[in-house]
Amino acid sequence: MTDCQSNNKIFIYYANNVIDAGDGMIIEAEGLTFRYGDLVAVDNITFHVEKGEIIGFLGPNGAGKSTTVKMLTGQLNPQKGIIRIMGHDVTKEPKAVHERIGVCFEEKNLYPRLSVRENLKFFADLFEVEADIDTLIKKMDLSKWADDKVETLSKGMQQRVMFARSLINDPEVLFLDEPTDGLDPISADSIRKIILDEKRRGKTIFLTTHNMAEADMLSDRVAFINEGRIVALDTPENLKLKLGKRLLKVKLRTGNGFTEQFLPIDDKDTPMKAKEFLENENLATIHTQEATLDEVFIKVTGRKLEQ
Amino acid sequence: MNAKIVRSIVRKDAMMAIRNNLVLIAIIGGVLFSLIYYTLPSDVEEAYDLAIYDGGSSDLMEILGLTSTGGLEIHNTGSLNEMVESVKEGDYMVGVYVPADFDLLVSQGAQPTLTLYFNNGFPESSRSTFEYILRTALDHIVGAQGSSMIEYEVLGEDMAGEQVPLRDRSLSLYIIFALLMEMWTISTLIVEENAFGTLRAMLVTPATSADVISAKSVIGILYTILVLTVILLLTQSLRGNPLALAVCILVSAMFSVSLGLFLGSLTKNITGSYVYVSVPLIIMIIPGMLIFIPDVSLSIVKAIPTYYMANAFDAILNNGAALMDVMGDISVILVLDVVLFALGIASLRRRIA
Repeated sequence: MTDCQSNNKIFIYYANNVIDAGDGMIIEAEGLTFRYGDLVAVDNITFHVEKGEIIGFLGPNGAGKSTTVKMLTGQLNPQKGIIRIMGHDVTKEPKAVHERIGVCFEEKNLYPRLSVRENLKFFADLFEVEADIDTLIKKMDLSKWADDKVETLSKGMQQRVMFARSLINDPEVLFLDEPTDGLDPISADSIRKIILDEKRRGKTIFLTTHNMAEADMLSDRVAFINEGRIVALDTPENLKLKLGKRLLKVKLRTGNGFTEQFLPIDDKDTPMKAKEFLENENLATIHTQEATLDEVFIKVTGRKLEQ
Repeated sequence: MNAKIVRSIVRKDAMMAIRNNLVLIAIIGGVLFSLIYYTLPSDVEEAYDLAIYDGGSSDLMEILGLTSTGGLEIHNTGSLNEMVESVKEGDYMVGVYVPADFDLLVSQGAQPTLTLYFNNGFPESSRSTFEYILRTALDHIVGAQGSSMIEYEVLGEDMAGEQVPLRDRSLSLYIIFALLMEMWTISTLIVEENAFGTLRAMLVTPATSADVISAKSVIGILYTILVLTVILLLTQSLRGNPLALAVCILVSAMFSVSLGLFLGSLTKNITGSYVYVSVPLIIMIIPGMLIFIPDVSLSIVKAIPTYYMANAFDAILNNGAALMDVMGDISVILVLDVVLFALGIASLRRRIA
């Protein structure tokens, strides 16, 4: 099975190497297309996500990430293509889908004059669930502010409330759009731990992020989207191995300091050069250096993620 | 539509309306209306302008001016017809026709006839006062009572005993104002859902746009009914035909809600919404003000939807109208409810998409 399709040559190369989603597919998107007037926001993309998988969805601003998430969560109807979440067509059975998903938006969208508890209680009521709100608040380290109005909380705290809200119905699929945006490193780490906990509990997570390190750390697979198309989709490891440049980093002592040299590991002359360095009495350190997702992204899309 | 979800949204909106001080503003408004209401006179006006057409420059004119005490302004008109029309239209509440040969007939010992014309809104109790003033003036001329005949005619349908004090006429204005405040409340709740992005958050839960619209409509209608009832209770004006009043309150509340839904869906910016709401608010208060000032009649106000509400409430509360009497006004409001509600839903769905 081909997991994703695009006209992009690099992608086609990888399409043969991607993980097959198998029978436990939770998200099935086929031929999704959406245009805003003449602008093609999402151009015929296809991908599948397996149960219990975290998929990182990465792309620069305007690449089509938000439009894709809106279509997946039933906020926008695709102009072409089909989306099935847990076997339900999102367009035709939105309620069946919405009951079982949780969405954490990038922009803050809470009721500012309601307290943390009231915000969560309201959404629990919409899902018609008896959620253990206190436990959820405690999990997000918000117990001290549970009865404070949301408008009095910091941006990071509001982000944690939004994340808590996305878990209120114990969803089977989580759509997380920049869930750690605006958080301090400790809070961001605790959110990442919760994401991994949810994965361990068998939840499927669709993660949109600008943070490559976060995507690398959390995602089973990452999809790079550029100009409305998925240009690569694979495990971070595979992407780095197949598209990144593995290097040998050599550090030599000089009169007053050090110089660095990089040798491509896959070059046929590298073993010989490495041996020469090892015999050099000025050698300080020598080690391999793996490509980063950032580098892979630039190679695949020709642009940086922040662009 | 899911009743439990609608109830949850209604409960949340009620909480939001309280926290946003919208309820406080409505309470203060209601109390203010009541205070203003009680400062207005509860009796009908006793000072009136008198129009006279005197065909022959009678001495009666001069004596009438001297005889009458305060509260009477005398104006001459060019013809009998002009005088009758001006009284009929309400420009003057009373008119007097003095025949051209009046003085001559009096000097010959005859009994000429004076005719008094009353506007149909002129209080019955004051008619005899006018007759007395006129007779006193005649006594000065002829020196004896009964030397002249006085006839009177009420122009239009005689509304004797049905004149409405200023205080009660002002009720329509308060009701229209309260309805427009509720419209503003609903539009604010809608705009805030858009501006805060919470509408998006709700629509990725089992709540549908139909649930959201239903909830806003329910809270708007309940809130409007509550506020109108409180205003009528505070002003001790909960009277008239109960069925007519209930139907009129309901269709008017629906009007506020549907207009609020429509205006609230036009923008997602809270500041921008003030423009969208304040312009119609200013225009729609006009019919209430015109009922407050009855001598001003502009046919153009019939193009303003609230004219029909002001008319219907005035008829029910002040003239004892039954449902059938105000059915014309209520039908117009109902049509507007349907049109605005359809526009509001279409616009809100477009905004959601």
